[in-house]
Amino acid sequence: MSALELVNVHKRFGAVETLKGIDLSLASGEFLVLLGPSGCGKSTLLNIIAGLAEATGGDVRIGNRSVTGVHPKNRDIAMVFQSYALYPNMSVARNIGFGLEMRNVPAAERKQAVEKAAKILQIENLLDRKPSELSGGQRQRVAIGRALVRDPQIFLFDEPLSNLDAKLRMEMRTELKRLHQMLGTTIVYVTHDQIEAMTLATRIAVMRNGQIEQLATPDEIYNRPATRYVASFVGSPPMNMLDARVADGVAYVDGSPGGIPLPREFRDNAASARDVIIGIRPESLTLASRDGGLAIEAEVDVVELTGPELVVTSTIGNQRLTASLPPKTRIAVGATQRFDVDASALHIFDKATGQRIQRVSGAG
Amino acid sequence: MERRSLTATILVHLAALLLLVVILAPVVWLFVMSISSTPDLIAKPLHWWPDTVDLSRYGVLLSSVANSAGEAFVASLFNSIKVAGMATFAALAVAIPSAWAVSRTPSVGWSLYAVIATYMLPPVALAVPLYMTLAWAGLLNNVFGLALVYLTILAPFTTWLMKSGFDSIPREIESAATMDGARLDQILRMITLPLAAPVMATAALFAFLLAWDEFFYALLFTSDQRAKTLTVAIADLAGGRVSDYGLIATAGVLAALPPLVVGLFMQRALIAGLTSGGVKG
Repeated sequence: MSALELVNVHKRFGAVETLKGIDLSLASGEFLVLLGPSGCGKSTLLNIIAGLAEATGGDVRIGNRSVTGVHPKNRDIAMVFQSYALYPNMSVARNIGFGLEMRNVPAAERKQAVEKAAKILQIENLLDRKPSELSGGQRQRVAIGRALVRDPQIFLFDEPLSNLDAKLRMEMRTELKRLHQMLGTTIVYVTHDQIEAMTLATRIAVMRNGQIEQLATPDEIYNRPATRYVASFVGSPPMNMLDARVADGVAYVDGSPGGIPLPREFRDNAASARDVIIGIRPESLTLASRDGGLAIEAEVDVVELTGPELVVTSTIGNQRLTASLPPKTRIAVGATQRFDVDASALHIFDKATGQRIQRVSGAG
Repeated sequence: MERRSLTATILVHLAALLLLVVILAPVVWLFVMSISSTPDLIAKPLHWWPDTVDLSRYGVLLSSVANSAGEAFVASLFNSIKVAGMATFAALAVAIPSAWAVSRTPSVGWSLYAVIATYMLPPVALAVPLYMTLAWAGLLNNVFGLALVYLTILAPFTTWLMKSGFDSIPREIESAATMDGARLDQILRMITLPLAAPVMATAALFAFLLAWDEFFYALLFTSDQRAKTLTVAIADLAGGRVSDYGLIATAGVLAALPPLVVGLFMQRALIAGLTSGGVKG
């Protein structure tokens, strides 16, 4: 049974179309992350699922029931807002129990549910405080508790971690993952942070201009991005995108003297001469140890040691190539360096359409 | 506080003191006048402090003897309280829903500007139409009629104030309450209005003061003790052949007391209503 189903959801604000036909189906217990830059429509989509906004067209089904026109409170969902949106004039306990209070759950039962949620989130000692007396992380927990206590069919999260500092964000991320594993609830989570998306999601929907660019598991999004856009959005440092031209199975990177002979699997699909983008993840580059194979030459500009890795920025003609190398690597700035490319991690995109050029066979 | 030289500190305190004197001097003089005997008041050179403290005027103004100055004054005091109170209450009752609606529906914000535009008209321009309307409705020389007129003055301004108050309350809080299952009236009563309490108190205070101090319409639309307000009553005191400045001062002191009480009460509400921390920051 699908917990959530979106069928051709459209949203228009006057002449502006913010959602251009969203289709997706979510199984019970899935953690779906809507990932995209601001303005891509991900928050609008979440609000439509929540019922805070009404779709211009299409259908939203929660638990096989169409909820178009159904009031948010009757959709069996709970939402955690970016700003937490706690009720400042109420205690933490009342904040968490407010949804039950509004549904006329008896006080004793309410108290029990609030305590249970507080225990899960480890905020039992904060129940009597007001939101203003809490830290950011604690407020976040209260906001999650308020959703938790209702035991809804779907949890909606709207960039819940973006107001926390970096360290706390990581902690809460792990916490969210733990909660999801423990409770097995269905979650739709909006973020523009690709790390959050990669770590939390069972599936990621990468959104762009009101459309889903790719809907797949984090592994697939990372290793088989469907478009150039998806490839550039996920990964840090971002994937290298080199303009190149393919002819006779060899890719000639603009500004580079030699060509890269493409692996056999690409040849059929990239046989004819055409302009392409070659995508290489920084971590799939290594210092060339031998001649032959897939290699690319570049002039080293900047070397940055981040701690766990050495980020080397170099140039090929006027294109930039970033490589993440082991921290102990010795490399000279200004020198021309040969980098080996892991053939199985090579991505090729059509320059005109941005679509991935598929391999004919094999796992790549 | 950052480091500051002694001179600067002294100057800051002197400036504060000067401000205090400027604000308090008229009030203090009003009070001194109210307790000075007539000979003290007209003596030359001026007596800054009366030789004898004379509280008789307070007795005169607060007496309830029929057809006395006191009866008229006390009646006007109650009229003022009734009119200002009713107008303030009604203004808030109008302002809260309309301000909320405008705040949450920005596309109808122009209507508020349109209402504010009527503020640009001088009161005298509206005096005749208002007079005719009140006459037609039989509300001339009537506290309800006057309160209704004041409502037209107070409602736009309280709405404006309340709107900015509602604007500062994040919509997400109301969205959260919606999803928690609260009805609109519950959201307003349990969440939005408590959060807007400081603004509401400010709006009420200013509305009350505005209505309390209003003179022009009160003079035009009231004619006797049934509806005359304090401002008109005080003007009457000055209008006779012989003006007793001490009596006028006493009336002024007494007229200042009710707003003072309202102010003190609202100040408590202002502080009690100060809440934060529902959203980030």
